[in-house]
Amino acid sequence: MITPHRLSVKFYFEELSVDAEAFIPVFHRWIRENVVPNELLLDVADYKHILDGPAILLVGHEADYVIDFTDGKPGLLYVRKQDLGADLSNALDTTLSQALNGVKLTESDVELQGKLKLRTDGATIVLLDRLNYPNAASNGDSVDTAASAEAHLSDSLAALFGSDATVARVDNDAREPLTFELRAPSAPDVDTLLSQLGTGN
Amino acid sequence: MSNIGWKDVLTDDMPVDLAHEIDIFEGQMELMGQGKLDEKVFAETRLRRGVYGQRYDNGQRHDGFESRELEFEELDRIKGPDTLWHAPGMQRIKVPGGGLSPEQLDVLAQVADEYSDGILHITTRQDIQLHFVHIEDTPDMMRRLAAVGITTREACGNSVRNVTCCHLSGVCRTEVFDATPYSEAFAQFLLGHDDVQDFGRKFKPAFSGCESEACGLVMMHDIGYLAQVKEVDGKLKRGFKVFVGGGLGTVPHQAKVLSEFTSEEEMLPLVQAVARVFARLGEKRNRNRARIKFLVAKLGIDEFRRLVEEERKTLPHDDRWTAYLDTLPQYEEKPAKPPTFLNGQVRSTEFNQWFETNVYSQRQEGYSVVTVNLPLGDLTSKQTWELADVARKYVGDNVRATVEQNIVLRWVSDSDLPSLYEDLKAIGLGDPGAGTIVDITACPGTDTCKLGIASSRGLAGELRTRLTAKSASLPDAIKDLKIKISGCFNSCGQHHVSDIGFFGNSRRSGNFKMPHFQVVLGGRWRDNAGSYGLAVGAVPSKTVPEVVDIITNRYIDERAKGETFQDWIGRIGKKEARGMIQPFMQLPAFEQEPDYFSDWGDPRVFSLGDIGIGECAGEVVSLFSMEISPAESEAFEAQIALDENDPARADALAYSSMLKAARALVRTQFLDVGDSPDRIVEEFKTRFFDTELFFDQYAKGKFGQYLLDRHQNPNPNPDNDSAHRLIEEALLFIEATHACESKVGGNVLVEI
Ligand code: HEM
Ligand code: SF4
Repeated sequence: MITPHRLSVKFYFEELSVDAEAFIPVFHRWIRENVVPNELLLDVADYKHILDGPAILLVGHEADYVIDFTDGKPGLLYVRKQDLGADLSNALDTTLSQALNGVKLTESDVELQGKLKLRTDGATIVLLDRLNYPNAASNGDSVDTAASAEAHLSDSLAALFGSDATVARVDNDAREPLTFELRAPSAPDVDTLLSQLGTGN
Repeated sequence: MSNIGWKDVLTDDMPVDLAHEIDIFEGQMELMGQGKLDEKVFAETRLRRGVYGQRYDNGQRHDGFESRELEFEELDRIKGPDTLWHAPGMQRIKVPGGGLSPEQLDVLAQVADEYSDGILHITTRQDIQLHFVHIEDTPDMMRRLAAVGITTREACGNSVRNVTCCHLSGVCRTEVFDATPYSEAFAQFLLGHDDVQDFGRKFKPAFSGCESEACGLVMMHDIGYLAQVKEVDGKLKRGFKVFVGGGLGTVPHQAKVLSEFTSEEEMLPLVQAVARVFARLGEKRNRNRARIKFLVAKLGIDEFRRLVEEERKTLPHDDRWTAYLDTLPQYEEKPAKPPTFLNGQVRSTEFNQWFETNVYSQRQEGYSVVTVNLPLGDLTSKQTWELADVARKYVGDNVRATVEQNIVLRWVSDSDLPSLYEDLKAIGLGDPGAGTIVDITACPGTDTCKLGIASSRGLAGELRTRLTAKSASLPDAIKDLKIKISGCFNSCGQHHVSDIGFFGNSRRSGNFKMPHFQVVLGGRWRDNAGSYGLAVGAVPSKTVPEVVDIITNRYIDERAKGETFQDWIGRIGKKEARGMIQPFMQLPAFEQEPDYFSDWGDPRVFSLGDIGIGECAGEVVSLFSMEISPAESEAFEAQIALDENDPARADALAYSSMLKAARALVRTQFLDVGDSPDRIVEEFKTRFFDTELFFDQYAKGKFGQYLLDRHQNPNPNPDNDSAHRLIEEALLFIEATHACESKVGGNVLVEI
């Protein structure tokens, strides 16, 4: 299937005992130390004044890392914006492995270690491309597209997150991008997932 | 799913001219990518489409320890002087008078999450800005906006910027009449007008319904309009008191009266005459003195007025000057609901607090204007479409952005207020305190602006949090004060016209620089930005919250009954005022207070190393260069049409590109040539062809003949071959136009 314009994955915090603000110096350090060698990290944007939204962004050229509180659910959102690859599978692989790498970096960061934990047994996946992946329920074509995307995600994610993993389309507003919820009760840990994706160390 | 793009999907939804302009811009991007366009011409071209640079786009960033290169791909590819192609930038979206419909909000929200970072920022000129946008995404973004009637054209660059208008116009209790339809007609008339393409600098207009309130801020604008009614021959006539030459910036100027009364029939010709005088006589070489305020100051208002009046007499008649008057009677806003009263509903304390500050009772009984207080002018994509739904439910299309970086919902039926409040609160937009000391205005500052010195937004966020925490206990006299913050002396945050204003600068302590804010006290927001504040001294950024406390406490202690903040500052004088902040001006060493050496919300050790060349002034390039560039892009589009096997379109585009080039050339001598192909060709022929100015040393009149032939004998059924030939001819014709322009001199290309 066609590569979406952008693709994002949000993993949720199981524990978070620091304020959003604590991520500002951490993200600045990540830029300085170039901790994601295959991405160009640019700057930190501070939106913590917004209620229940993206609070702190590590803005990059290929992707943004966001400490995100949308719907009151804190998580680490990874938004892949450039170089997604040739098709949806590629885009999903890249996005997942980079997002999981972000999870790992966050959990093991010297300043954050022990103060937070992210869970891998669920995630929200968003296809930010209203042209190729419209989120309309009424139009026949787009329903087909959504269903195909869902089947595609289900197959890929079950292979990674365990056979009991399910992917369901989120019944959100048609103006929102096409969104899927991953539930994976027997998801392996981050390292296993990364090594399955072929990007672990 | 194939290669269908937004361009194909939205063809029927976009106004044809907007769609075509965007195609041209896309063509210019393509040419720039191939290194075929001058970098300054391209920079000005994109600025005039609202595509702005952003901090670090020169590829350098200070990480707190050292300045480091950002390793973008294709480092030699640029989108303007010292501006890397791949570096993300800011997109400014023009919103005339701040007017937005729910459909427009929906699309704005969608482009923000697909192309930006999911945040919409409302600016101090009722615009919307998106940040971190990749230039490749801008044509599609513009198409999606065009499909709901929004253009980004002339949002930046040396052009007529967004036309602002009081957000209360039409419902205000003190206005003379509703200035909205006039500001709309004004904006439409000047958008893309030939006479506004050759300014040395930007030009900002504002409209206001009355003299005493602040909303329109006409006194600080390049041109400002105050609604007036005058009796002429026993009849009441509508018109405006017109001001010219105001502006903030490093040296703020109060506008001068250009005309005590300009009738509605004369409003458009007058501004056209002003535009011509400004284009002709305004400074082009030194951009620091290029705003119209400097021209007015240099000539004196009387001489300026005389020149404008002379110019007015020479203008060729234009039906559009008065055509808009016929549409005025149809202009009306439709409330979504009938008027009702707020009687008997249960009101929570929270609601009452919000009601006190965020609700304005309209002139029309039973209706109110509700201000949605946006922290730092920001809202998320999700909040935006949720807000669009709230608007649909209560007010329909009656939504406007304000110059205080908020959004208002007009025509709220009063009994809906409690439920509207609950709905806003549910989407995180129920903050009280609109227009009070917690509702702080800030420019982008070091967050994203290339010129930023200190973190205006960081400071605004901090002050907002602290002041909100104690707002319940603040005396009314303090609550009603305004704080406005700019990241540098350019004043985008409008600090000159607030009670307590700040602008960023820096001071040295030992071997380190420390972020500072200059304190500016006693500016007047009311009376349309009636007077500017007094700069009293600079304090370290980290001390500002304490400085605000000291100043406000002293005001409360010392003020005479009913004495305003401005009067109090005027009474105590600059020396006393400086005395208040003096204790903060002793700078600690790095070892004593390392925290003072970084800014709010930014832990990096402070540096000025990230300041780049701002694009506020745009690039000064000749009118000819700006006008020939779309011709080149059209010739390029013609080639694409041919590749797509569409010879008829290729032929039409190639012909149109020649006309554009000829027009650009003719306009170096004769500005009023207009748009008719016959007229353009005729003027081209008599001025350049018959005089042999256009002739090439060897080819003689051959290239010029191409246009004359195609104009006289259009091919009714172009095939691939003939279209191909015409494209070749168009390219040669455009080349010859360039050669002729540089031979004849045309406008001088001014280097910046
Ligand atoms: C010499 C350079 C500049 C000058 C003199 C200047 C001047 C101004 C002034 C006076 C305003 C206040 C609004 C008004 O005029 O009514 C303004 C608004 C603004 N300017 Fe500039 N400006 C400059 C450069 C820039 C740059 C480089 C940027 C960032 C890309 C920028 C971004 C803005 C923004 C965002 C606003 C609205 C403030 C907000 O709501 O966030 N300006 N500008
Ligand atoms: S005041 Fe200075 S820092 Fe703020 S936006 Fe304007 S130019 Fe940038």
